[in-house]
Amino acid sequence: MKYLRKIHRMFKLHRIFIKQDLKKLMEYKIDFLTGAIGMLLTQAINIFFISVIFARIPSLDGYSFEQIIFVYGFSLLPKAIDHLFFDNLWAIGYFIIRKGDFDKYLTRPVSTLFAVTVEKFQVDAFGELVVGILLLGYSIPRITVSISVLNVILFFVSIFFATFIYTGVKLITSSISFWTKQSGHIIYMFYMINDFAKYPTTIYNRAVKAVITYIVPFAFTAFFPASYFITGGNAWYNIGGTVVMSAVLMAVGIFVWNKGVSAYESAGS
Amino acid sequence: MRRIFKIYKPFTHAGLLLAAQYRANFFFFIFGDILRCFINYFLWHAVFSSGGEKTFAGFSETDMVVYIFISFLTSIIAYSDGSYAVGEEIRDGSIAMRMIKPIRFDFAFLFQELGERIITVSLIFVPMMLGVEVYKFAVTGAVCFNIVNFILYVISLILAYLITFYFNVCYGYSAFILKNLWGANFLKDCIVGFLSGGVIPLAFLPSAVAAVLNILPFASLTYIPVMMYVGMFDVPTIVFSFALQIFWLVFFIILQQVIWNACVKRMSVQGG
Repeated sequence: MKYLRKIHRMFKLHRIFIKQDLKKLMEYKIDFLTGAIGMLLTQAINIFFISVIFARIPSLDGYSFEQIIFVYGFSLLPKAIDHLFFDNLWAIGYFIIRKGDFDKYLTRPVSTLFAVTVEKFQVDAFGELVVGILLLGYSIPRITVSISVLNVILFFVSIFFATFIYTGVKLITSSISFWTKQSGHIIYMFYMINDFAKYPTTIYNRAVKAVITYIVPFAFTAFFPASYFITGGNAWYNIGGTVVMSAVLMAVGIFVWNKGVSAYESAGS
Repeated sequence: MRRIFKIYKPFTHAGLLLAAQYRANFFFFIFGDILRCFINYFLWHAVFSSGGEKTFAGFSETDMVVYIFISFLTSIIAYSDGSYAVGEEIRDGSIAMRMIKPIRFDFAFLFQELGERIITVSLIFVPMMLGVEVYKFAVTGAVCFNIVNFILYVISLILAYLITFYFNVCYGYSAFILKNLWGANFLKDCIVGFLSGGVIPLAFLPSAVAAVLNILPFASLTYIPVMMYVGMFDVPTIVFSFALQIFWLVFFIILQQVIWNACVKRMSVQGG
C-alpha cells in the first residue's frame, strides 16, 4: 500500500511537470515546429538512402527492404520514448553540474533522479515516434509477422526494456559529471553507438558485433528483438537478452548515480 | 593584404586559444560522429557483396569507402559556426559592440574561425588522410596517392569553407527578422547535409535531380571537393566545378554585404 501511494504520487507529480513543459512549448511554437520537422526530415532522408540502395540490389545480406524498414522503425520507438522522458540527463552532463544548479534537486522531497528526469518533457521526440510508428505500419503487413496475443505482449515488453537500455547508457555516462563536472561529450560518444542498431548486426565485423552486443548493448534495442518478430525464433535470447541487459544497465546506472550524488560538490559562488 | 592580416591576427589568436581549450571535448564529439562513417562503411560493404555488380553509378567499393570518409572530413573542416554566432549576437545585442569598432564584421568572424580551424585541421586532417590512404593500399596492394588530386582537393576544400562561411553568415542575418533558435539551425544543417552530397553521392540520385543539385551552391560544399579527391572528374568538369565554386563564393560575399548594409540602417538593439 505504501509503495502504491508512492507511485501514485510520482505519477501525479509527473503530470504537473508535463503540463508546465507544454505551456513552455506554446510560447516557442515555431522552434518546436522547425525542430520536429527537422527530426522528421532526418529520418525521411535516411529512408530515402535505404531505398536508393535497394533500387540496385534485391536483398541486403539476406534481408528484404521491408524487413530492413521494420528493424529501422523498431529502433526508433525506444529511442523516442527515452528522448521524450529522460532528455534532462543530457543537461546534467553538459551544464547542470558544472554551474552548480544540481543543488536545487537535493532540496526536493523526492529522489534526485526522479526530480531531474521529471523536469523536462522533450516533445521533439514526437518526430521520431511518429516516423517509427509509420514505418512499422508500412512494413508489418508486408513481412511475415505472426500477430498473436503473446507477440503483442512481447512487443510492448521489448520496447519498454529497450527504452531503459538507452536511459541506462545515458545515466551511467551523465553520472561521470559528478566527478568531472562535465560529461556531455562522453554521453554523446556512447549515445551515437545506437545508430549501429538500425541495421542487421550481421553486416558488421566481429569486433563491432561484440561491442554492440555486450559492452554498449544497443543491438538489444532494435535488431535482436526485431529479428524475433521477423523469424519467430530464439525468443529467450532476443527478448530475454533485452530484459537482462536493460536491468543490468539500469542497476549499474542507479548505483553510479547514487555514488555520484554523494560525491557532488557544488560550484562555489 | 599585409595590413589586413596585421589587424585581424588577434582574432585568429583568440580562436586558436578557444579551440585548444576544448580539444578534448572535440575528440569525443568527432569519435561519436565518425561512428556513422563506419556504419556506412559496413552497409556499403554488405551492398557490394550482395549486389553482384562491381560498380554502382561509377563507384567501386574502394571509391565508395573513400567517399564516405573524405566527405566526413570535408564536412568537419568546411563547417562554420557563422549562422549560430551571428544569430546569437543579434539576439543578445552584442552586435552593437562590433559596429562601433573600425573593423569589418565578417572578417572578424572569419579570422576567429580560422584560428579554430588550425586546431581542427591539425588534429584530424592528417590522421584521416593517412587512414584512407592506408585503406586504399591494403585493398589494392599499391600506393595510389595522387598528388594532383590531393592539391585539387585542398584548393576546392578552401573554397568550400569560404562558401560555407558566407552562406552561414547570410543565414545568420535572418535572425534580424526571424528568431533563429535551435530548431531553425537544426533544420538547415539537415537539408544542407543532404543537398551537398554528405549523405549519398549526388551521382546516385535520379539524373534530373542530380543535374539541378550539381548547379546549386550546396554541391560546392562537399560533393565537388570530395569528387576531386576520388578523382572521378574529367578535366572539363574540374574547370567547370572550380568556376562554379568561385561564382557561388562571390555571390554569397556580395549578398552578405547587401544584407549587412540594409540591416545596419534598420537595426535597433535593446539594452546593451
